[in-house]
Amino acid sequence: MRMKELLKQLEQLLNEKDLDLLKIQELKTEILKNHIKGLKIENYIGDYPTFMEPVILGDSVKIGDDVLIGPKVYIGTDSVIEDYAEISNSIIFDNVKIGKNFKLDSCIIINNSKLNFDNFSSKNCILKGIAESEEELEIIRER
Amino acid sequence: MSEKRKKDIQRIKELESINLATDDIRDLVVQTKMKVAKDNEQLARQNNEELKEHNIKSVDIVGAIGAGKTALIEKIVEILSEKYRILVICGDITTRVDADRIQAHNAESIQINTGRECALNAYHIHKIIENKDLDDYDLLFIENVGNLICPSEFTLGTDTRITVVSTTEGEWVIEKHPMLFKMSQVAVINKIDLAERLGTNVQKMLKDAKEINPNIKVITTSAKTGKNIDKLIDILEL
Repeated sequence: MRMKELLKQLEQLLNEKDLDLLKIQELKTEILKNHIKGLKIENYIGDYPTFMEPVILGDSVKIGDDVLIGPKVYIGTDSVIEDYAEISNSIIFDNVKIGKNFKLDSCIIINNSKLNFDNFSSKNCILKGIAESEEELEIIRER
Repeated sequence: MSEKRKKDIQRIKELESINLATDDIRDLVVQTKMKVAKDNEQLARQNNEELKEHNIKSVDIVGAIGAGKTALIEKIVEILSEKYRILVICGDITTRVDADRIQAHNAESIQINTGRECALNAYHIHKIIENKDLDDYDLLFIENVGNLICPSEFTLGTDTRITVVSTTEGEWVIEKHPMLFKMSQVAVINKIDLAERLGTNVQKMLKDAKEINPNIKVITTSAKTGKNIDKLIDILEL
């Protein structure tokens, strides 16, 4: 329950015009360190990805082949993770899509973002937008 | 990275075996496989150094499904949980059954569901330990995915590897699976309480293990009755 409240707070911070990156980073760390526990992966759609707990998935998350998720990952409802992705220490909000072969560590993807391209790697960042290529993507680097 | 290189990498990731590589990329696939094996070794060494730096003793346990790996860890953890702060990493294709069983014995457990992969590798362990405060633990057990073949391809970086077989698997099980015994320091023949009833030739199993690896320490146990668990702990110097 507490996790959902904190995720909502984080979402609000991310929607503000001027991002308070320090606060965002603190809240992300707090959620990943103290509120993402165990394996809650019951309702995903896909063929047996690798999960390293703690991992929490919302309902109807679609996951491709050869995907490695965890440790410390939250993925929101209806998000789509394509083949060969590797995601750790990250929060992906609802209804996000990422392309094939994404490697993300310590990142946040804002809800409804559509990253419609393949082969991307990043650390300590916030990603948002509807992008057909890396150049079109809005990337905010955390400190 | 060029588009061609990206496509080559994508193709290699799709291949399960070099036999499936077409001639134009065969060399690249072979080179990549060799590099992956080398990278695993390097990462395993790095894992071991990191664990040692934090004075953590480490043991990984391999064996077939139903050999008794989890039951052995349960018994060991039951005895050692007052002496050591224990972390157990459990590898399984799916479910959290083993991690839940171990957690009931005062040890922290982390589940890795490997999905389609039939063994843990050094990268899995690296990802777990880089996300843990290693000062919180004295002892690490890793229970690999249940099978006697795939784990031989990947070392994990532990001090000791134990291969567990059970008398219910028949007396040929060691002879038929030499690879893991070659790379293990300890062999456990579990479910010794059932050997007589099943008519399993345990002497042959003991002999086979020693023939495959003269340096291996072999012990018979019963995780069910607790027989020789104390001796196994002595062998592990814990």
